[in-house]
This record gives sequence, C-alpha cells and structure tokens, in this order.
Amino acid sequence: MKNSSKQVLKVAFVGNPNCGKTTLFNAFTGANLKVANWPGVTVERVEGEADYKGQKLKLIDLPGIYSLTSYSIEERVSRRCILEEGIDVIVNVVDASSLERNLYLTMQLLELRKPVVLALNMMDVVEERGMEIDMHRLPEMLGDIPVVPVSARKRTGLDVLLHAVVHHYEEGPKEGVVVYAKGLEAKISKLTAAIDKKYGPQENERWLAIKLLENDEEIRKKYPLDMPEVLDRSYENDIIGGKYDYIEEVVEECLFGKEEKAAFTEKIDAVLTHRIWGIPIFLLIMALVFFLTFAVGDFLKGYFEEALDWVSVMARGFLDGIGTADWLISLIVDGIIAGVGGVLTFLPNIFILFLALAFLEDSGYMARVAYVMDSVMGHVGLSGKAFLPMLLGFGCTVPAVMATRALESEKDRRRTILVTPFMSCSARLPIYVLFAGMFFPHSSMVVAYSLYVLGLVVAIAVALLANRIAPTGEEHSLLIELPEYKTPNGRTVAVYVWNKVKDYLTKAGTTIFVASIILWFLLNYGLSGMITDISQSFGAEIGRFLVPFLAPAGLGMWQIAVALISGLSAKEVVVSSFSVLFGISNINSAAGMSALSGILGASGFGPVNAYALMVFCLLYSPCMATVATIHRETRSWKWTLGMVLFQVLLAWAAATLVFQVGSRIFG
Amino acid sequence: MRLSEGKIGKTYEVERIENTEQVTRRLEALGMTGHAEVKVLNKKEKGSMIVKVRGTRWAVGKRIADGIMVREVRE
Repeated sequence: MKNSSKQVLKVAFVGNPNCGKTTLFNAFTGANLKVANWPGVTVERVEGEADYKGQKLKLIDLPGIYSLTSYSIEERVSRRCILEEGIDVIVNVVDASSLERNLYLTMQLLELRKPVVLALNMMDVVEERGMEIDMHRLPEMLGDIPVVPVSARKRTGLDVLLHAVVHHYEEGPKEGVVVYAKGLEAKISKLTAAIDKKYGPQENERWLAIKLLENDEEIRKKYPLDMPEVLDRSYENDIIGGKYDYIEEVVEECLFGKEEKAAFTEKIDAVLTHRIWGIPIFLLIMALVFFLTFAVGDFLKGYFEEALDWVSVMARGFLDGIGTADWLISLIVDGIIAGVGGVLTFLPNIFILFLALAFLEDSGYMARVAYVMDSVMGHVGLSGKAFLPMLLGFGCTVPAVMATRALESEKDRRRTILVTPFMSCSARLPIYVLFAGMFFPHSSMVVAYSLYVLGLVVAIAVALLANRIAPTGEEHSLLIELPEYKTPNGRTVAVYVWNKVKDYLTKAGTTIFVASIILWFLLNYGLSGMITDISQSFGAEIGRFLVPFLAPAGLGMWQIAVALISGLSAKEVVVSSFSVLFGISNINSAAGMSALSGILGASGFGPVNAYALMVFCLLYSPCMATVATIHRETRSWKWTLGMVLFQVLLAWAAATLVFQVGSRIFG
Repeated sequence: MRLSEGKIGKTYEVERIENTEQVTRRLEALGMTGHAEVKVLNKKEKGSMIVKVRGTRWAVGKRIADGIMVREVRE
C-alpha cells in the first residue's frame, strides 16, 4: 500500500516516559520545552513545525507512555491522538539503553498499521556501557521499518530521521511482527472477519481484534461484537506474554554485551536511597539548595540594588527636567519603579533556586525522592509519587498542580492539589528574604528555612487530617521508574532556568506592573480626589475595614491588609506593595530595609509580628494564576473556592497562634 | 513467596501477580509477566523496594510487592 504525498505530514512522537522525546522534539522545532531526568515531565501534548526539503511537517510531542492501553491520563491522551487525529507517521522514540522494555510499546504501535519510524535514542549511553546493537538485524525483526540512531542531546541523526519519516510515509505501513499462539491467532482471524463484515473494511482490523481480546473498554464500546464463543474471557495476559516472548528473541539476536555497567547508579542509590539515611540526606540536600539560594543570591543582589537606585534617581531627574506633572512622576517613580524594581532585585535568588532545582531534576534524583518519601507519604494516605508535585511546588505552584496528572486516582490528585500550595514557591522567597533580613538579621537564613520546613509540615498534617476525615480507602502503592543518574546537561539546565527567569520577568512586567499602578492610585486618591495624606486614601479605607480581623495575628495595620490583598495577584506583590505603601524606593537594599523596619517598629511591629506575617503569607490563598490552574485541573469552582477559603482560615489561625504564643514568650 | 520478602542482591522469577485488575495489567505492561526475572536492588525495613526488571529500575510500594509471587532463581 502506497501513500501519495501530502501538503503537511502529521508526525507524532511516541515513546516511554523519560526516553528523550521532548529533547528530540525541541531539537527539531527549536522549542524550549521543559525536559528533566524523571518520568512524567510532559503532561500535555505540544505541537511544533519542521520542514524537510520542502515537505512541511507538523510534529506532535505526546506524554510518555509504557503501553497503548487506557489506564492512565497520559495513555488516553496519546492513544486518542494517534487513533483519531489522522496521524500520518509515528516516530517511536526508543531509549536504546533499555531496549527490552521500550520495545513493548513498539510492538503495539506496529500493530496499528500506521507507518512507524524507530528513533533509537541514547546510542551514546549504549556505547559507553560497551553494548552493541545489530543495526542490520533489528529492522529486519521489526518488520523492515526504518531504524535511525539519533542523539537528541548531541543533535545527530536528525536529518536522517526526517528523511526516513517522509520516505516511509510514502511507502505506507508494514505488517505487524508478533505472531501469537495458534489458538489466539485463530480467534484473531475470526474477529477480523467479523469486524470486516459488520463495520466494513477497517484500516487496523488486526489491532481492533487484539484489543477486543484484551477486553479493552473503549474499543468494546465502539465495535461491539456478539461472539461469546470467541470473546469468552480477557486474553490480555496471553497477548502481553506473546509480545514479550518476541521481544526476548529480538534482544537475544540484536543486543550484544548486555553485561551492564549500571554499577555506578547502583552505588549512588545505595547511599541516596538508604533505608535510614535516605530522608536525612534529602533534607540536607534541600537545606543546601536554600543555603545557596540565600547566600549566593544575596551576594549577587547588591549589584541589582545599585542599578535600581541609579534608575530611580535618573528617572526622577529626567522627568523633572522635561517638566512632567508631579503626580505622573510619583506614579512612575514611587509606583512603577519602586514596585516592579523592588521585585526584580530578587532575581538573583530566584535564579539560584531554579538552577539548583534544575540540577536535581536533570541528575535523576527527583524520582528517588518519591521512593525515599514513600513511607512518610504512606502514613498520610498518599503514595510517594504525590511528593514529586509537592517538590516542584518549591519552584512554582502552577506547574506543580499540573504535574499531579501523573497520579492515577482522582482522589489522590485532589488531595495532592490541596496541599501543594503549602510548599513555599519562589514568589514567596522575596517575602522571606525581606522580612527575615529586616527582623532577624543574624539568623535570617535559619528563619527562612524554618518557613520552608513549616510549609512541608503543614502540607503533611493537612493530608493526614484529610485522610482521617475521609479515608480514600484506595491502595496507595508506588510504582515509578528510576532513571540512571547522569551529569546534568548544560543545555537542558540552561533552557530550564531561562524559562523560569523569563516567567519571573514577564510577571514583573505584567501582573506586578499593573498591580503597582492600581495600588498607587488606591493610595493616592481618596473621596476628595488626589490626596497628600495617604491615610485618607481608598486603600487605607479598605485596609482599615480588615484591621480588626488581622489584629489577633499581630497584623493589625491597614497597610499590611492592603499588601496581603494585593498579594493575591502574585505573592511577590506583597513586597512591592510595601515599597509603594511606605514610599521606599529600594526596599531590598540595606537602607531600604532599615527605613522600613524603622517605620514598622515605630508602630510596634516587631520580630514576632514579622514571623506571623511570613507564616500568613506562606499559608494563605495561592495567587490567581494558581487558583485558575486548580480550577482547570479539578473542573470544580466549589472545590477550588472551598480550598481557597480553607487556606485563608488556616493562615489566619496559624499566624494568630504564632503571634499570641510568640508575644507572650518574647514580649 | 512474595517479592516483598525478597532479599537485597537476590534475583527472583515472577510466577504470578495477585493484585487488582488494574495494577496487574500495569505491571504486565512494564514487563513483569510470568518468568520475568526481578532483581532486588534496595529495600526498606517495612515497605517499598527498588527492583530491576528487564533492564529497568523501578521503585515499588509494599502493597504491589506483596502481590508479586516469585520464586528464587538458583545461580
């Protein structure tokens, strides 16, 4: 069967989790999608374009899957895309260093009767380990499909792969290669005949027959057949066995030197996943991450402050020189530059934090954390896998919430989504840096780390409580692939960090920019128009209304109420609000900090109040972007808003406890 | 015996899987079918373990390891 040429070829990248699909996809499309060394990074399908000698190609990157069944969200997304979206060619990305497991999906793809091209990735790892693959025999045993060795990381073999895609499309699909036991084959032929008769000729009758024998829900609904004598039970086990038997043959004939040099990974694992030391080592690694974030970040911060001072002075001088109205100068300098600039000075801390997280993700340690934390998570009714989204929450809550898709059950997902916002995201970092620096100058790092730990403890406690109130009653069992350790790839880390820094800058330029302007107006206008006394402003009116509620938590100042409300747009805004509220142009500098702590101190706001404020910021409602994401993921406003309310109340209760107890001890 | 009773460093052969339909199918798709060899790489006091099946390392929770029936392979 030959296919005629087509204007745009639709090409899907399909493969096991963590086999390098996304790296390959990035190499072709020039996209900068996130990759990391743990399974389940891609949760949504992503599209891109490429061109090979005038032939336009539409490339689709699908989430990693182990098989084409429909048990998990990833499998359903990928399968639906392949079957229903008119995919012309499937590029099956295979991790050559674990051929045996990867070929299982290949066997299923071959049965679909669509053109398949095998991209043999990570050949460098195969060579490093002294293994060899018979590149002659392998395609033969796979039904003569093109097998192209590529290295996504070193960007080799890319053109050859595209050539194979275009050429192979024109050649049309090949036959499947797995032949099952006789009895099974007899059933398959009976079913294909029946399908043909009832539904007319189908492109992939053999695959449909196999799926019917596997008792596949989706296919049984779509192609019901009344043949109880053939479909007397599920033959899934026999079919899986048949495929693996054939794969064993392939591996035996094509793979040489299987003596693995995996000893390296095993040696590291003996320490990092040790039954006793595993958890202390994890806490130590996280402590190191935060030490670097604060210490190195602070060191770089000085330059940013000087730049901000300079910009602020220059802008004022320039605007004054060209005769700009006073109110506009105030808006630009005291509103926008102070607000946006104040947040930008924390960029070095954010940069270091994401650099450290990128190293953890790309080295292969992430998946181990799921194993290390499994028993702790087991006590609260969640699997160790639920800990991965929580860990990602240290970066940003939005992708962390999306990463919960890797969890199998809906109940587990919601419970994980409920606790993920308690992990201190990078937007809360500026708040800790500022207030810990101001009120705990000699132990700021310990104070900030205590908030990270507190967030973790609250998350686990809430999960525990939720499990007591409504046990899910489901089996929580961990099952996750542990990749080989590797040296983090420079490009991968660079892309990861740049994307995060870009997000941060974009947020400063949009959300924080707008919030600063709105805040400036709220603070400079009152019932009588523009005002000079800030305490007469609209903002002050709103803040004063909330003061009675916040007073028990030691936060009874209208300025704080305003800052906390604006913090709902993005948590960094709490910091920029303080700059605007108190008219401090460079809040993160030594002078700015002492000015602010002076003003706050004069109204009786001391270290205990500061700690209560940080606790409140840690726990209260996540930012708008997170709330929107949670709604999208849970598809329930009731649940989402209930969660927000719960978190605000919890924040209030915790901050009140801190203040009441703290002020009695230290007051 | 159950895989969860396995010792670090030993290799076992899978005999059958006793678990819910869903978990069983998932394990089979990962290659944990009859006669597949499983090596125990690491194990915690009570609970999860790290095993190697068909060249791939997996972290497996106790409940799942309990349901994998194996016998020891003599080397």
